[in-house]
Amino acid sequence: MTGIIGGDVHRDANAPLLAGTAQYAADLRRDGEVHVRLVRSPVAHARITGIDVSEAAAHPGVVAVLTADDLPDVRIPIRLPLFETPEANRFLQPPLAREVVRYVGEPIAAVVATDPYLAEDAAELVDIDLDELPPVTGIADAEAAEPIHPAAGTNVVGTVPLRHGDVDAAFAAADIVVRERFRMHRHTAVPMETRGLLAEVDEITDRLTLWGGAKVKHSVRQALAGMLGIDAERIRVAEVNVGGGFGVRGETYPEDFLVAFLALRLRRPVKWVEDRAEHFVATNHAREQEHELEIAATADGRLLAFRDRAVADHGGYVRSQGILPELLPAQQIAGPYRWEAFAVEATGVITNRTPVGTYRGPGMTEVTFVRERLLDMLAARVGADPAELRRRNLIPPEAMPFTFAMDEGSAVPGLTYESGDYPAALDALLDAAGYDGLRREVAERRAGGECAGIGLAAYIEIGAIGPFEEARVVPDRAGGFTVHVATGSLGQGAETVFAQIVADALRVRVEDVRVDFSDTDEIPMGFGAFASRSTPIAGNAALLAARDLRAKAAEALGADPDDVEFGAGLVRAGGASLPVGKVGEGRARFDKPHPTFSFGGALSLVTVDRATGRVRVQRHVVMHDVGRAVNPALVRGQLAGAASQGIGGALLEELLYDAQGQPLSTTFGDYRMPTASELPEIEVVVVEHRPPESNPLGAKGAGEAGMVATPAAVANAVADALGLEVTRLPLTPDRVRSLLRDAGR
Amino acid sequence: MKPPPFAYARAATLDEALALVAEAGDEAKFLAGGQSLLPLLAYRLARPTHLVDIGRLPGLDRIEPAGGGLTIGGLVRHADLERSAALTGPWRAIREAAAQIGHLPIRVRGTFGGSIAHADPAAELPVVATALDAVFVLRSVTGTRTVPAADLFTGPFMTVIEPPEALVEIGFPAPPPGLRSVFEEFTARSGDFALASAAAAVAPGDDGSARHVRIALGSVGPVPVRAHDAEASLEGAALTPDTVAAAARLAADGIEPGEDAFARPAFRRDLVAALVGRALTRLMNEGDRG
Amino acid sequence: MERWTAEDDTVPCELDVNGGAEAVRVPPRRTLADALRDHGLTGTRLGCEHGVCGACTVLMDGRPVRSCLTLAVQAAGSRIETIEGAAPELRALRRAFDEGGALQCGFCTPGFLMLAAGLLRDEPGASPERVREVVSSNLCRCTGGVPILKAVLAAQRELAGSAR
Repeated sequence: MTGIIGGDVHRDANAPLLAGTAQYAADLRRDGEVHVRLVRSPVAHARITGIDVSEAAAHPGVVAVLTADDLPDVRIPIRLPLFETPEANRFLQPPLAREVVRYVGEPIAAVVATDPYLAEDAAELVDIDLDELPPVTGIADAEAAEPIHPAAGTNVVGTVPLRHGDVDAAFAAADIVVRERFRMHRHTAVPMETRGLLAEVDEITDRLTLWGGAKVKHSVRQALAGMLGIDAERIRVAEVNVGGGFGVRGETYPEDFLVAFLALRLRRPVKWVEDRAEHFVATNHAREQEHELEIAATADGRLLAFRDRAVADHGGYVRSQGILPELLPAQQIAGPYRWEAFAVEATGVITNRTPVGTYRGPGMTEVTFVRERLLDMLAARVGADPAELRRRNLIPPEAMPFTFAMDEGSAVPGLTYESGDYPAALDALLDAAGYDGLRREVAERRAGGECAGIGLAAYIEIGAIGPFEEARVVPDRAGGFTVHVATGSLGQGAETVFAQIVADALRVRVEDVRVDFSDTDEIPMGFGAFASRSTPIAGNAALLAARDLRAKAAEALGADPDDVEFGAGLVRAGGASLPVGKVGEGRARFDKPHPTFSFGGALSLVTVDRATGRVRVQRHVVMHDVGRAVNPALVRGQLAGAASQGIGGALLEELLYDAQGQPLSTTFGDYRMPTASELPEIEVVVVEHRPPESNPLGAKGAGEAGMVATPAAVANAVADALGLEVTRLPLTPDRVRSLLRDAGR
Repeated sequence: MKPPPFAYARAATLDEALALVAEAGDEAKFLAGGQSLLPLLAYRLARPTHLVDIGRLPGLDRIEPAGGGLTIGGLVRHADLERSAALTGPWRAIREAAAQIGHLPIRVRGTFGGSIAHADPAAELPVVATALDAVFVLRSVTGTRTVPAADLFTGPFMTVIEPPEALVEIGFPAPPPGLRSVFEEFTARSGDFALASAAAAVAPGDDGSARHVRIALGSVGPVPVRAHDAEASLEGAALTPDTVAAAARLAADGIEPGEDAFARPAFRRDLVAALVGRALTRLMNEGDRG
Repeated sequence: MERWTAEDDTVPCELDVNGGAEAVRVPPRRTLADALRDHGLTGTRLGCEHGVCGACTVLMDGRPVRSCLTLAVQAAGSRIETIEGAAPELRALRRAFDEGGALQCGFCTPGFLMLAAGLLRDEPGASPERVREVVSSNLCRCTGGVPILKAVLAAQRELAGSAR
């Protein structure tokens, strides 16, 4: 034990960020670079009857104008077999619209010019004739509407069924059934840096480099290789500084293909920097789904069973994350409770709006809102305190590992929660919040005329998804080490965490370890930075690679691995020593056939200004079992940041559309992300229940957890404050006022 | 989101600016702080052929007493209004409104004249100007005219200012003795455009009753509106919690806001009731402080 | 019409950036943000280009402005300070941001630093409420902004201490 793991090691990557010298994609410059501007659909649904690019092509500075006719007839593929079905593959998106446009913002043509100002001027000159079709602008209308993809013959992407136990019997035996329809609204990640790409072909090696990669660089490389019809080895996807990802950045988008295609065709560097107006229609949206949930319970509040019928929106196409919009909620709605039985049917549908992908805590944030809201309604019905109702029904530690076996025909064979002490963790949250005192305080404040309420929510987070990651630990002569992993840095501080893991294993200083995940060339295969998997999967791979280096050194020295010391460019054991270069490099692969399910919760204290409907979150506490916190300060930053986003989603942020499918939230004035004036200081409770030995590092993941229960806790708190039921978000002042008005207040 | 092309000239004097804009035709515009114009250019919602930069013209950046009233130059920045020691008592609403325009970096550049001429229905200063009976001084190469606040705004983003006219000065007439004014607004998030706003002013009558009651509302229709019924209900009456509540209700009932996905009409009425109530309550409670 | 610069022509523009005079030629429509970035000062970032996010905040004559809402030609005659400059408030601010977990991805960080530098220079005794209000001028998606508020308050204390 070096004390490096579990310490708040300083994040060295801060220095260039604070200096302003860090380079993001838009900051890259290449001699002779040209700039792409996309011409996007102004309408939600139309047949393209003609495109005239002649005026644009003749505009000063224009190098090329492309339409779908100039491209191979390709579609952006779904990135993992786990997310893919033959049905979903009927709805994939071409890089430029072919014959039909299916959402406002869909790329129709690409204009390339020597300057971004000129490219934007020329893009306005592309003349497109559109024959408008009726748009499908809501989940509810999708199934009955004319197919948006006629060849598919339906607007249903597919249905994910899950069935555990005898649901009908459990409902028949129930004393109480509560039932409600819930809606989670469309909102999304909106990182501060828009997407940006720069593609360049090396004339000597004929290799293509795509700068601006993030999250899943190897998947993007594979997808581009397939669409461009070239070997993946000819493509290098490289990462520079990344201004936030949260799920949406780094997937394969139409622009990734177009920039790469144009660089190969024009043989000069091609750059595209998304602007904010584009970002709001082009980058993945998320979250929109509706649930009809019913819960069966005994009179004293013991949970028996539930049925959930969910419909999740995909938007105009199925994007690279395939069926995740319906699969993830289905897998997570059971949550941390000991159900005897449940049945889920989650259906994905196509509508004429921007396609969706994952946003921090995908699926689980939505279903935690749905389930935890209905549990509060049940608690009111049975007269139980919401915390007590939950505590009574949590899966007990003695039941771990716990499995919900699935009936035949279910989409997954079972759900196994491997470790944790949920009741103890819930108590840690309640203790940190001072729950009983808080209940008394709220009662007093209400007596004084204030409108205040407390909300609690618990969840299970699916994270640390495999299948595997690889790592290399390469020593250099100067005494340093470079860790190569294939995930990525989106601003979380992952580079510090990997350095800590390797420094601890080698017993060297953290500052002697450099981390490189910038480049697909340095690691042959990897899956990327999503699903809170960087530390638990790639971190374990880095740990095993460091151990491998130690073992190799031990073998070379004829010593016991534990006795090997690294330092000053040497490895030593006993009296013997060797230059570290003679040892080679450490390599490992960490396989994770099953995801990790970890437990957490959130508690929120809100006040409502009855006159204006404004909700203020006065306190917000998040708790999560991270297994093992490699760097607690960074873990807290992740949890607090995610919770801040969750409060924004619960109260302010919404991607609205009108009845014609026109997006209404395309500025930072209309899409309202919270600032320091709208947020409390987030309180964080880090729980560490070490998982089994199959995870040598012991980490369960932390990137998304602060999000998952936050909207649910805020919604429960507002419902508690108002004494009214909340079934949809966000709780904007307008919506809160309308709840109060409808109640005659 | 790059601005579309335009020709540009920086004027050294007001006369030169007026001449430049006059020669450039109907699609020429003045550029002062640019805080309203630049976002429109970024979204390409405005396409002026020519911009005449008046941002550094001398003499239009003063806040001065004038015959018992006040004149404010068209180029006075919001950030300067925000901390002007002159803006108290009858003029306090101007300071309070300026302090709530966007965020500090916007206020450092944005100008009083620019905000008025832009005529955003959600903007703060047009509401205060309406409540305080402001008079706008418009200059062009052919002469000068003055327009009262009640006549300036003709619709969303529309005024009677005709190119090549420039709004050079905002005048506030001498107030009745003891007039005090306040400004309240509601935004969904700090620094956002107001979903509703209210400026209110009263002067004490000899018997302590309210006189010269002015209530103006913003963000509830195409232009700032006076809440005449609410004003009339208070004129000559004492400000009490009951009269204030009744006036707030009258103000709310008197507006006819349009449909808006972010703030539906019933919500705007709720906000107006709350804001007018708060503004009048402050005037009631604060006596002649401020 | 010689006072006019045509839309496709460029204006000679004397910019005083970080204490050095820079003679550049820019088309009338080029924003100050783009002009600075074209000049290699890429620490001034574009997060929205419509004046809301504040990633492009620089100091103009000592006060914070959105460089995306300012044309380069408008800036001629003003002192411009960017994150690459040596604003004296930056040392304390950088340390407070670093120690207080006030940055994650770092994209918004220069804008916040310049915003705070302008505030602390102009209003060294700003109340916590005033600091909160001004810090809310910019958007930070990673931290939400509260850690930034705390860091600015910490830097304010440090600067007040060193001024005594």
